[in-house]
Amino acid sequence: MAERNTFRLMLLILGVVFAFLYIPISVLVGLSFNEGGLPTAWTGFSFKWYGALLENDDILGAAANTVVVAICSTILSTFLGTFLAVGVEIRRRNGKWLETVIFAPMIIPDIVLAIALLSFFSLLGAKMGLHTIIVSHVVFNLAFVCAVVRARLKSFDWSIVEASADLGASTITTLYRVMVPVLTPAIVAGALLAFTLSVDEFIIAFFTAGAGRSSITLPMQIYAMIRFGVTPEINALASIVMTVSVICLALSQRLNKGGLSG
Amino acid sequence: MNQSFLSIQKVQKNFGPVTAVTGVTLDIRENEFFALLGASGSGKTTLLRMLAGFEKLSGGDVQLEGSSIAHLPPNQRPLNLMFQSYALFPHMTVAQNIAYGLEMDKLPKKQIKASVDEILQVIQLEHLRNRKPDQLSGGQSQRVALARALVKRPKVLLLDEPLGALDKKLRSEMQLELKRLQVEFGITFIIVTHDQEEALVMADRIAIMKDGGLLQVGTPQEIYEAPESRFAADFIGVMNFLPIRKSSQGFVTANGLAIKANQINNSASNSDAVAAIRPERLMIGEITAIAYHGLDLLLHLKTDLSETPIVVRMTADVAEAHCPSTGQQINVSWYAKDTHIFFA
Repeated sequence: MAERNTFRLMLLILGVVFAFLYIPISVLVGLSFNEGGLPTAWTGFSFKWYGALLENDDILGAAANTVVVAICSTILSTFLGTFLAVGVEIRRRNGKWLETVIFAPMIIPDIVLAIALLSFFSLLGAKMGLHTIIVSHVVFNLAFVCAVVRARLKSFDWSIVEASADLGASTITTLYRVMVPVLTPAIVAGALLAFTLSVDEFIIAFFTAGAGRSSITLPMQIYAMIRFGVTPEINALASIVMTVSVICLALSQRLNKGGLSG
Repeated sequence: MNQSFLSIQKVQKNFGPVTAVTGVTLDIRENEFFALLGASGSGKTTLLRMLAGFEKLSGGDVQLEGSSIAHLPPNQRPLNLMFQSYALFPHMTVAQNIAYGLEMDKLPKKQIKASVDEILQVIQLEHLRNRKPDQLSGGQSQRVALARALVKRPKVLLLDEPLGALDKKLRSEMQLELKRLQVEFGITFIIVTHDQEEALVMADRIAIMKDGGLLQVGTPQEIYEAPESRFAADFIGVMNFLPIRKSSQGFVTANGLAIKANQINNSASNSDAVAAIRPERLMIGEITAIAYHGLDLLLHLKTDLSETPIVVRMTADVAEAHCPSTGQQINVSWYAKDTHIFFA
């Protein structure tokens, strides 16, 4: 009897935790379908706010910017992060300090990184724009891609690299014919994670975008709109961003698991 | 003999302060099946990896047909290594695995396909050509790994514990198979093993390694019949060791019998000597028991010659004629020519 009660209590706690986590998100998604404009009353189901998004040139422009930033920074950070992971794992003996240096961008608070990057670009006298956001996103995405690929490399059978060399392959050939194919699930998982992080990143983009509307990303656009109150349009936009993120994350996790066993 | 085929000259390997291989000099002949035999930590695998190019030499040189290969990276050496873990590429099929090395040689596609087909036939795995490595059994993986290295027809094939992961029955089948392939392809095989039986069955010559150095090099028969050290005598085959001591008349056993030997090794030392006799060199007299035990028996006899039991090998015909049983008193005798004396 006592055990059953403990079990029930645990279920209850679980329910409360999930409610705490997901009710706000559910409300957001729910209200994005609310026909009336007010967050206080449900007046009927409608897609009209999603339709309204498509007619808002500011939002479409910001969305285009976000896609450009996310795709460019993902490609760059995946490429560099994979090489970094392989290099670090080959030269493992260089030890802990290298590991810490690589992980730092994941741990340093975004605001610090944002200020640092802003100062850096100012010092260089660089013209700010989408390109500076892309470079800034590469800085932290690199660390995430590297972490994902390195996790896979921990269980990597290095003797196949030696076998490839033994059979006459150069280092480059071994890299693209043996290492990359075997690491592909982890590389794609890292890329999806990088894409997600880039899509909803706000602070760093805000600091490194420079002046003007031309380099506004979606999170920045939402921030600009929210100063005039939460509209259902924002709810719809946020729901879309969330859906993209969730799909990417789910794919990333799936691939990473599959990669470890296969 | 004229110029040697693969010449290993004073090869040394240090890992930091640890010396893994201590100046090994060895000449390996063309078309030879050569075994590096030793316990783990004897340096045999390190030596093999230096031949393959995966470990840099700390000293010495390796020459193949008169020219040094010590400075060449692994992908430029006309030697191939079959890995202990097989190291098959998990994302490629059996056929793709085997073709890989030929593609690296930039051979025409037609020729690659022909070679792959041919070797798949030799190892009898044509029906598995489109399988991935994770769909193969241990024995099948082993054959694919062998085929992948062999298909390039290297001048020397290096095999790192090739049969280590197989079960006992498969292992003895593959011993004969490896021997057959070596003769058929006419390639020098250098095999690393810790299994003395494997070395005796397959190798033309064996090098026994201990503590990073060579203890003895010779044909299986030479090493079996005339071991030069107590370690070699003990490592290869079954051997009886009788503690002996020096007296004015020569050597005497623990219970006072005078003993003569064919071969007295490293007699510089004077203490803790042993006489060593192979089980099949012991003669059996006066067997009173009649009990049939099967072919080629090994009898363990408790004697006052040594604390450990004396082992006697009895061939089928003798066993059939006399049929010993446990608990029976029997006499043992042997010839001095079959006795070796070692000092610890």
